[in-house]
Amino acid sequence: MKKAYNLNWIKNAEIQSRATYWLSRNLIGQTQLKSAKTAFPDHFYRPNFFVKAGLFLFVLIACTFFLGLISLFLQNIVTNLNFTVLSLLCAVFSIFFLEFHIKSMRLYHSGVDNALLYVSIALAAVPVFLEFNDLKVWQYALVLSVILIIATVRYADLLTAAGSFIALFVALANFLVNFSTGITLLPFSVMLLAACIYFPVSKNKSLYYANCCKLIQILSLITFYLGGNYLMVREGNALLSNPAASISEQIPFALVLYLFTIVIPLAYIWMGISKKDRISLNTGLLAITFSLYTFAHYFSPFTEPQEIFLSGLCLILCSALLIRYLHTPKHGFSDEPEERNIPEELKSNLIAQALGQDPETKGIEFGGGNFGGGGAGEVY
Amino acid sequence: MNTQTILNELASKKIISDRQASLILAYETTKPLSMHWELRLMLYAGILLFNAGLGIIIYQNIDTIGHQAIIAAITLLTASCFYYTYRKSQPYSNDEVQNSGKLQEYALLLGCVSFLALEGYLQFQYGLFGSRYGIAIIIPTILFFASAYRFDHRGVLSMAVTGLASWLGLSIAPLSVLSGNNLTDLKILAAAIILGTLLTVTGWLSEGLSIKKHFSYTYIFLGGNLAELAVLSGLFEQPHKVIYAILSISFCSFFILRARQNQSLLFLLLGVIYTYITVTNLLFFILGDSLFFSLQAVYLTFSSVAVIYFLLNYKKFLRIQDEKSI
Repeated sequence: MKKAYNLNWIKNAEIQSRATYWLSRNLIGQTQLKSAKTAFPDHFYRPNFFVKAGLFLFVLIACTFFLGLISLFLQNIVTNLNFTVLSLLCAVFSIFFLEFHIKSMRLYHSGVDNALLYVSIALAAVPVFLEFNDLKVWQYALVLSVILIIATVRYADLLTAAGSFIALFVALANFLVNFSTGITLLPFSVMLLAACIYFPVSKNKSLYYANCCKLIQILSLITFYLGGNYLMVREGNALLSNPAASISEQIPFALVLYLFTIVIPLAYIWMGISKKDRISLNTGLLAITFSLYTFAHYFSPFTEPQEIFLSGLCLILCSALLIRYLHTPKHGFSDEPEERNIPEELKSNLIAQALGQDPETKGIEFGGGNFGGGGAGEVY
Repeated sequence: MNTQTILNELASKKIISDRQASLILAYETTKPLSMHWELRLMLYAGILLFNAGLGIIIYQNIDTIGHQAIIAAITLLTASCFYYTYRKSQPYSNDEVQNSGKLQEYALLLGCVSFLALEGYLQFQYGLFGSRYGIAIIIPTILFFASAYRFDHRGVLSMAVTGLASWLGLSIAPLSVLSGNNLTDLKILAAAIILGTLLTVTGWLSEGLSIKKHFSYTYIFLGGNLAELAVLSGLFEQPHKVIYAILSISFCSFFILRARQNQSLLFLLLGVIYTYITVTNLLFFILGDSLFFSLQAVYLTFSSVAVIYFLLNYKKFLRIQDEKSI
């Protein structure tokens, strides 16, 4: 399918950002960066994140009320106007509007086009629910995922990519729970589907879809792991077959799932270290944390607060030791600061939110059972 | 599109020489993978979990574990954190200090968190401050302000600001301003506006007087947000709308002016959203419920289009050349 954005400019933007990075590492000079920018111009309108967020918000408001106006207006002149037709008409109009503005205002994921795309998709999906109101959930999910995949292929939008991925898995799960063998096979089919998505996506080297591919890779690695995670399968199984029971039953294939829970994170980490692939390394680290939680959930000798305390202590010690260890780069890994670090300003806001004192939960007054700041407030 | 093709493109336009291209390629292929961000995230998560877990353990086992042992352990931890920070620190300066120790920033944070736990423990077990809770809150607040300035730490500064607000009975953390404060109470509303204004002025002064210029963001963001949200709440729910409207518009103008001065677009966004809410509410009030209701779809559509137009051309309107990330 034809792509919505100017491919040449996307390529040029990538060249510019790489050249800027090389300048920061003193690999090229200032004049070289300047001539690279003139030789490979990108004319996209791509504002700062906050302006983008503002644009997105106000486009959504404008669209909502504009559509309200239109439907009022049309209902007055056309009697017996079908809501389906109206919605489809608006969808077509909104897609044209989107395409026109991508061309005329040179938008590229600038907030405005994202918002218009989501509005168009919502308008296009409404008729499905209106016209076919007795379909199964998996049928709706399948239709939705097709719409979202088409949108992703044309616009390379992150949210539609994630949406289509989730819709596919909802369809699969909802289809399989109709059969008794389906419930047993659900974990394995989820893993199979995730693997089937991961491998083709990780082979895709197109710059246009680079970010979408990264996101889908992360999501499919996580889904593959969770599909084989003992805790997820056991609790999920209990939720489906006997929601009233206070303690979940042991499940079939428990040994296989124990094995998966241990092996998959280690495989991810090994993959990440050997290929120097940040995505699988980080997913592996997250997965192994969840695996520890899984085993602690069933076999832990500690109480929950002790686990929280010990895991905090372990994290502090491990990361401090690793920072010390990587003081000089070793085995292809370093502790060098990068520009993708969180800005200091935002960090201070996060600290105020997470560790700051609050009159409701202040560490001094123990009426509510809180202690030492906001962190405890959410647990108890 | 990989490094090789980009280098080929650059070389074909004679921007880089072939020798430079091979140098860059060698750099890119041998470059180690930086784990900086991941490790810092682990540290923060660790401190958060440590703090939460420690709090609950002490609270649950207050009667069973030896008090002296606990107090000694936490005191030791707090003291060693502060000692480590002090030993690694640079002398005080009015400018931003580049800390040399990699872990110093986190040691100070951990020290502050465990100080809170220690103080809470002493108060809970021995009633150190009796019912004078105010003293119990203001002591760590003062300590945090002092550490923030001495060791140049914005995170500890924001903890100190939350402590100060908490001393006055206010929640100032960005996401809990509305949920944590009962802003229908006129006393709390007034306290929020006054504290917010004072903090904003402090931030503005610290920039003007060049005392820790980089702290001004924390003061103005936390204080300004608190004051503005309190003012908006007053505008919606209290009589004497004129006063709140004037206050709100002046805060919004301050945000937008600051955005213009510092190229800080977060403040531009806040200013625009708060202005929009204020103006819409005023129109709603002036036109009356019924008239506004029939006009609202038209008004909201066209006013949002106007805001979109402004945001698309903000550089022209505000004469902003460069922009910062935040």
